[in-house]
Amino acid sequence: MTKSVTLSVKDGKIREAVNSFLKELFNKKTIDAMLVPLAHPAGTNVVQALVTKAVFVDKADVFAPVMPVNSARLIQSITRLTTVDRKTAVVLRPCEMRALIELAKLKQVQLDKLVLIGIDCPGAYAVNNYPKFAAEKKSDDFVKAGFQWAEDTMLRTGCQICEYPYPLTADITIGMLGLDPSKQILIQANSAQGEEILSKAGMSLEIDSDLAQKRQTAITKFAGEIKERRKEFFEKTKREIGGIEKLSKVFAQCIKCQNCRQACPVCYCRECFFISPTFELDADRYLRQAEKKGALRMPSDTLLFHLTRMNHMGNSCVGCGACEEACPNDIPLLKIFQLAGSEVQELFSYVPGRSLEESLPATAFKEKEFEQIGEK
Amino acid sequence: MQEKVGAVLVIGGGVGGIRTAFDLAESGFKVYLTDRSPGIGGTLYQLETWFPDNQCELCKLLPVFNRDECSQFCLRRDLSHPNIELIPNSSVTKLTGEPGNFKATLNIKSRWVIEEKCTACGLCAGVCPVEVDDEFNRGLQKRKAIYVRNPQSVPNVYSIDHENCTKCGKCVTICPTKAIALNMPDTKRELAVGAVIVSSGSNEFDVSRIGQYGYGRYANVLTNIQLERLLANTGPTGGELLRPSDKKAPNKIAILQCVGSRDTERNYCSEVCCMYALKESIMLKKQYPDTEVTIFYMDIRAFGKDYYRYHLRAQDSGVKFARCRVSRIRENPKSKNLFLLARAEDGKSISSEYDMVVLSAAQCPSPHLSELGKILNIHTNQWGFVETPEFYPTRTSHNGIFVSGSASGPSDICETVLKSSAAACEAATVISSARHQSETKTSEHEHKAEQDEEAKIAIFVCHCGEEIGAVVDFEKTLASTKKLLNVVTVEDVGFLCQKETLEKIKRSVTKTGANRVIMAACAPYHYYRLFNDTLNEVGIDASMWQLVNFREELAWVHKDKRDLATAKAQNLLAMAVDRLRTQETLTAQVMAVTPKCLIVGGGISGLTSALFLAEQGFEVDIVERTGELGGHSRQIYFDSPQSFVKGIIEKVNNNLKIKINLNSEVIGISGNAGNYKARIKSTDGKIAETNHGAIIIATGAKDYQPTEYLYGKDKRVITQHELQKRLAEWKLDKASTVVMIQCVGSRNNAHPYCNRVCCSEAIANAIKIKEKSPDTQVFILNRDIMTYGFKEQNYTKAREAGVLFQRYEAGKEPEVNTSNRTLTVAVNDPGLPGKLEIETDLLVLSTGYVAEDNQTLAKMLSLELTADGFFKEVDTKFRPVDTIIDGIFITGLANAPRNLGEKIIEAQAAAQRTANLLSRDKIKSGRVISEVDAHRCSCCGICVEVCPFEARYLDEDNKVAVVKEILCQGCGICATACPNGAAKLRSLKDKQVFSMIDAAF
Repeated sequence: MTKSVTLSVKDGKIREAVNSFLKELFNKKTIDAMLVPLAHPAGTNVVQALVTKAVFVDKADVFAPVMPVNSARLIQSITRLTTVDRKTAVVLRPCEMRALIELAKLKQVQLDKLVLIGIDCPGAYAVNNYPKFAAEKKSDDFVKAGFQWAEDTMLRTGCQICEYPYPLTADITIGMLGLDPSKQILIQANSAQGEEILSKAGMSLEIDSDLAQKRQTAITKFAGEIKERRKEFFEKTKREIGGIEKLSKVFAQCIKCQNCRQACPVCYCRECFFISPTFELDADRYLRQAEKKGALRMPSDTLLFHLTRMNHMGNSCVGCGACEEACPNDIPLLKIFQLAGSEVQELFSYVPGRSLEESLPATAFKEKEFEQIGEK
Repeated sequence: MQEKVGAVLVIGGGVGGIRTAFDLAESGFKVYLTDRSPGIGGTLYQLETWFPDNQCELCKLLPVFNRDECSQFCLRRDLSHPNIELIPNSSVTKLTGEPGNFKATLNIKSRWVIEEKCTACGLCAGVCPVEVDDEFNRGLQKRKAIYVRNPQSVPNVYSIDHENCTKCGKCVTICPTKAIALNMPDTKRELAVGAVIVSSGSNEFDVSRIGQYGYGRYANVLTNIQLERLLANTGPTGGELLRPSDKKAPNKIAILQCVGSRDTERNYCSEVCCMYALKESIMLKKQYPDTEVTIFYMDIRAFGKDYYRYHLRAQDSGVKFARCRVSRIRENPKSKNLFLLARAEDGKSISSEYDMVVLSAAQCPSPHLSELGKILNIHTNQWGFVETPEFYPTRTSHNGIFVSGSASGPSDICETVLKSSAAACEAATVISSARHQSETKTSEHEHKAEQDEEAKIAIFVCHCGEEIGAVVDFEKTLASTKKLLNVVTVEDVGFLCQKETLEKIKRSVTKTGANRVIMAACAPYHYYRLFNDTLNEVGIDASMWQLVNFREELAWVHKDKRDLATAKAQNLLAMAVDRLRTQETLTAQVMAVTPKCLIVGGGISGLTSALFLAEQGFEVDIVERTGELGGHSRQIYFDSPQSFVKGIIEKVNNNLKIKINLNSEVIGISGNAGNYKARIKSTDGKIAETNHGAIIIATGAKDYQPTEYLYGKDKRVITQHELQKRLAEWKLDKASTVVMIQCVGSRNNAHPYCNRVCCSEAIANAIKIKEKSPDTQVFILNRDIMTYGFKEQNYTKAREAGVLFQRYEAGKEPEVNTSNRTLTVAVNDPGLPGKLEIETDLLVLSTGYVAEDNQTLAKMLSLELTADGFFKEVDTKFRPVDTIIDGIFITGLANAPRNLGEKIIEAQAAAQRTANLLSRDKIKSGRVISEVDAHRCSCCGICVEVCPFEARYLDEDNKVAVVKEILCQGCGICATACPNGAAKLRSLKDKQVFSMIDAAF
């Protein structure tokens, strides 16, 4: 059963319609604060901002095709130590919300008093490609063009193979999959809190509306198609980077700046293992390592760094692509992490960010599991 | 009165003897663990796997607390505890004195091999010309006259079989350590002990006595132990199932139950055979799915905790079951296949051909038991098992001498382990005044290395004769190792295990001023203790030396690759050096123990545990929900149990060490093993807080309330308990027919377990009826009659008294109807067409127990429940009363259905396990335990989730994970799960591991 209201879009002004909806939440005092992407005055970027005055919501541009950081990280900064004490809405892309759920499982964010507002996401361009887009077009144009993962090659790789462009755990969904957003947008309540807020904001919820069903049909259809597309993509990726030789070739350009780690929303350690004393070696160790092979790549342990990160984060990788965006040398990190990540996730039937109740595979011990391993 | 001696003689080193020895040793007594054979292990070591997981898990017998005191290796390889002295090859020849103060004389048969010198290299066996049948493999293989009993014997030294040795002297010549001394005389030894425990085990029935089965004549007729050996990795075929006649894999196997038991001569049930037959058939089906396995049986007696599920599992895995006794076996002389002749339940004769037949041979008393019984002056029963009283099944006719395991009757591992802890409890009670008096004191040496002192590493490498010397280039290895940083000396000193060498090592450590040592020798279970003690003497603490395995893991596995083996030797030493260089001194955490036990539940189990703990000198608080002690036992209406229960209640009431809280409940528990805090609320609303070192859960179970068979609707339908009450008052005059239905509310989908006690109860009641009123017709409708052990006699007695047993199958339960006031029971007879209809005056339902609502208590204590709602033990076999939370034990019906005698045993076992903890004033954590780097900790809680010992929690205020050091077992799972090294394992920190990896590659 779905509960939703239809947001009519006047004269095709999608951004305006969405913003007026968001503003209404403020005005009806259903929320006290909002983390929402605002257009930067420079016009070359859209950045997340923690807004407490409704007037700033006019600058919001939630569908602008750019995601400078994965906002789960931002919410981690805000709530790691204490919970927020007022109702705070966070407007997130689906991959951001999934990362947020992963962080919640890892006790790095506290969801109390947060209202999760998710959008059906048509994807994003790289931050340095966005100014080019923004010079010519507006986010409304991008949305009107519809979902075109396969066609728009300027989209980030992660967006092109995104498995879940719709939110999985939102309180409120701003939906447009399968709809014509230049006419109507669906506002759906997905939780008791979502319902409460929408009713408080004076919206009367319709049960199983035609629009909601239309969207659901589109999601089901999409789920079938994306599986095929991802399969093809992974097969191609395997050919490109499979095996230790090709892999080390891919990482040849790594300078171990560790930007990928910094950008990854689920790489949550307060201090990375790779800057711990374990890797502070004395000269003797360096020289002995060098002696063993005759030559030691510096900075050392580059490949180990990536493999360790993959080992730690593969299960929780939501495929947002922040790592790849952050890489100064265009190492296709998203491809590598999604390839490995999706395989391990499948082994554990685990979908990162699908549900708060789903335990992390590392913590869910099952007596009967992988029995084929170690059998004679 | 003379002062008591705090030492115990344990006769027999099988699983029972080992359990008893550990329990007594842990609770502060000296133990002499003796065995007639050259090594310990008994029957147990012949088996490799068992119910329920079909794995070994023998190591679960190892002590949980103060683990660093004793070896923590596989028990098939080593058993060492400062309070346990192993005396193999020995037999008791005389016993004098009184309880608390016995003198035992032992005859110790000489091995003709000097134990301290033998390195178990096996060169002697290589040259020995004498071949005889190998007892360990039950004749499936040969051994030499100089031999070890099993592949890795404990102790691991060779022995010469006096009877078969020809004294040719070849072994003497080849022995590299001059360890063989033919004609070394036997010795006598006198021991002062306070108590004696007979744990001499059982023997397999000599199946060749049943001539019609052809054992010994037909090559492919085996005993079940032979099958176990064939399936064993250490067995003659390396675990491959090959039938003896042609070394081919059999396609059709028959397993015959009750061979040598449940017959006129031995009218007892051997109790264990059903379960091992199920296990063997499950293993066979798993390894050889296409092989047909059929069990020929009379009743499948899977009556223990979760045994019935195992029975179902065998059915699901495709094992076939045929309910009939095979009358004879004939061999096809050409193919060596076997024809089985039998009459099936429906009366039809069966004749089918099998490739292999396995006889489930009964447990019989050990042949030496009758002689031992005379020496110890203890009574044995008609079959030669040690006789025991009904309610204290580990006591003998001789005060101060106790019995455990199958010496007093057929017992499986679980029963043996329970009886062994119970026997330990009885012995400890006799000599509790002498606790800690005869213990071996472990001295702790000051360790040399100060935290900031520069590492000086001494390395000693062992040739082990040619075993290592021939494979590794020592010259090259030593040369490269000498160059490593912090290494002060590398020495090739010969056999490291020999006394003279160890003296040399001590001198060298002192001379070089080394503060860390590496010993490159064999696997740790051989000489770890010896090396550790030696190095301790020169100030090298256990954390400051490391053993590198040059024998098994190097020389043995790379025999033909000298270059690679040498490179590996160099790497292994470099790794050890790198690890030791940054090694920190490890100190154990110490925590005081509150010597007081909380017992939840005042039924017979809780009371028995309380009584024995109090008699051992510990204070006990009992918390009982109702206003009366005694629990279920109050429902027993016949005379002897009643007075027994009354006696216990009286003793508990009179014991000043026991405080009874009636009408009370535990509402909160915090703390951990050694120090629990409990909040106890009484019905008047008062809340008391008390401290305890341990907790025993004895909260019992509920009677199943039947909804079947018109119970509650027709007054003539009653339960077995209600019948017993009537019988006690004899109110049955009118009944001329009584029908009993077994398994009401058990062994079904809702309660897939056997209630264990109902068959015996029904039979006892039926006999009672027949005694009083022989003309009353009594029918017992049953699925399998579970009269295990000596209870079989009652089954026979009932049949002789005219009680009629009628079988029904699951899914074809009897139908009960009332019409015209007659109560009719209709049941399908598997042997006949149509139904048997019985008009009855009384219908008695054998209902068992169902679990109490244990959720709240389980949650409070972080305990797990079984699928049936009973409390879950750590391990059904080896730790049956322990829970996953250290210091919390379970006993009685809260654990599983049991009869009164079994409850006493289990309660004593729980008391003893508790005493092991409470008898120390302090408990020490292990030294290799985990710790938290607070600065790095992200407080994500993964380490808490993965810790199997509940040894970690999150301090939410300070956003950091915390280790409960006493509970940490040093498994390192937390360190593996933690992504950034905030969870660390002492002595295996990331920095050490990484530097070792660097050294290796």
